Amino acid sequence: MILLERRGIPTVSYTAAGFVQDARRSAVTFGLPELPIAVVPTPFTNQPPERIRAMVEGAIGQVVAGLTRPLPMAEPPREGVVLLEEEWLTFTGEDQLAAAREMNERFLSYGWGDGLPLVPPTEQAIEGMLRGTRRGPDDVVAVLEPGFGLATVKKIAANAVMAGCRPEHLPVVLAAVQCLAEPKIYLRNKAMSTGPHAPLLWVNGPIRRRIGLNSGVCALGPGACSFANTVIGRAVRLCMMNIGHTYPGVSDMDTIGSPLKYSACVAENEEASPWPPYHVEHGFDRETSTLTLLFVYGICELHDFQSTEPERLTEVFATAALNVAQVPTGLWLIGRRADPRYGTEEKEHHCLFICPEHAEVFRRAGWEKGHIRRALHRRARLPFRLLMLNKEPQALATAHPELTWLWESPETLVPVLEDAECYDIVVVGGAAGRGAFFWGAGEPVTKAIEE
Amino acid sequence: MGTLKVFNPVAKPVETRLQPAPRPADLRGKRIGLYWNLKAGGDVALQRTKELLAERFPDARFSFYRGDVGFTMRHLTAREADRIAREVDAVIGTTSD
Repeated sequence: MILLERRGIPTVSYTAAGFVQDARRSAVTFGLPELPIAVVPTPFTNQPPERIRAMVEGAIGQVVAGLTRPLPMAEPPREGVVLLEEEWLTFTGEDQLAAAREMNERFLSYGWGDGLPLVPPTEQAIEGMLRGTRRGPDDVVAVLEPGFGLATVKKIAANAVMAGCRPEHLPVVLAAVQCLAEPKIYLRNKAMSTGPHAPLLWVNGPIRRRIGLNSGVCALGPGACSFANTVIGRAVRLCMMNIGHTYPGVSDMDTIGSPLKYSACVAENEEASPWPPYHVEHGFDRETSTLTLLFVYGICELHDFQSTEPERLTEVFATAALNVAQVPTGLWLIGRRADPRYGTEEKEHHCLFICPEHAEVFRRAGWEKGHIRRALHRRARLPFRLLMLNKEPQALATAHPELTWLWESPETLVPVLEDAECYDIVVVGGAAGRGAFFWGAGEPVTKAIEE
Repeated sequence: MGTLKVFNPVAKPVETRLQPAPRPADLRGKRIGLYWNLKAGGDVALQRTKELLAERFPDARFSFYRGDVGFTMRHLTAREADRIAREVDAVIGTTSD
């Protein structure tokens, strides 16, 4: 709608009551707070036609007014996101602990926290954190959507302090912020969605061992062995909130939420992997450290204590990809995630954390990652009818008119992802036949970590 | 007494400001675009919108549009926005849930 307003075309958009603040925030961030909306009681999705028609009848007056009433330019409203002008904030209490408690209470009331206690970002703590990078505190690393917040090194360092990071963790957090800002990640879509998109991070290269990242038992946490993993993942979430202004209920409209959003970070267990590490596979030197970020919808286990043959193991793994209730399953049939501002398009990817025991099954049979990908793609197929149960038929006709013949052959088996390269494989974990499968949202981005 | 001075962790936004499009006095004789982002039910809403506006503004004309890229939500590209801007005087969208 903003694109059209910029071209001199008046617009009005239907908006459900629960999304008014979200719509207003979007309009503000795109520079048009006056953008008219016609408010209806609920989203049109999942509603019977007669209910939709009744909602429209109740809102038609707003539609006409939105297109015809003059819109004087107004001061952008500030509700929802708390932006304080002060660079430094002071809190007091009976003692330092009470002052820290007061800071936590206030930050929570502003919406600046993830719900867990925050470490105070004092001058001393930030100075210490900044020693973890060669970059200057005022260097701009990125501009983070959806709020278009200026991600300076110092702001990122402050959020890393609050998450509990140590200075040596900061380079990983900086790389993650760079990944978030990559146009291909289409952060706006994932940060503001009604879905549980969470950034899954995996680290490769020598930095893993230097900073104590866990790639083995309980790598995704919780626990002391995953301290670095946990605080780095948490810092990335806090950066999304306080730099990108991804605040729950304001701009993050996630229907249920997800524990993965607190923190989801691991290192690849390169030492236990029979294959080249993920970053080498993607064109980096083995001695370069990298951070890969993939937004994911959720996680399920890849459990198999029985299989000793790779075909059987991939048959088990492939069942994880057959969940029609997950957004990416067959999504390619109705198009690709795309951000027209940057001309990006993403194929949906899934990620498999293959445990060392399962990796060994593949190694014994001489299988490379490519064999696994192709086997998964061959096996992860579902009848077209099932894949389209939760998809708009007209979207198929728009995205793939050449495939509408499938309505005449609804039991035709169709791959759930677009091609075999859409399965990302990382070796992670301890000594048992249990890996993890993540339903991805779009494509991963990998960045070198600058130490 | 304890005092704690902490750095404000919230980033300043990079702000832009646009001028809204001028509004016509009414919709009589206007070409009205109905933009569906392909989220379920939006087509029903826009069809009903067209019927109601046609009753009120009998000489208005209507065109339906969809975004040219995307998946469960389809978006306009700049090229498609240019085309719509040439073809209609106002647009009603089902775009924000």
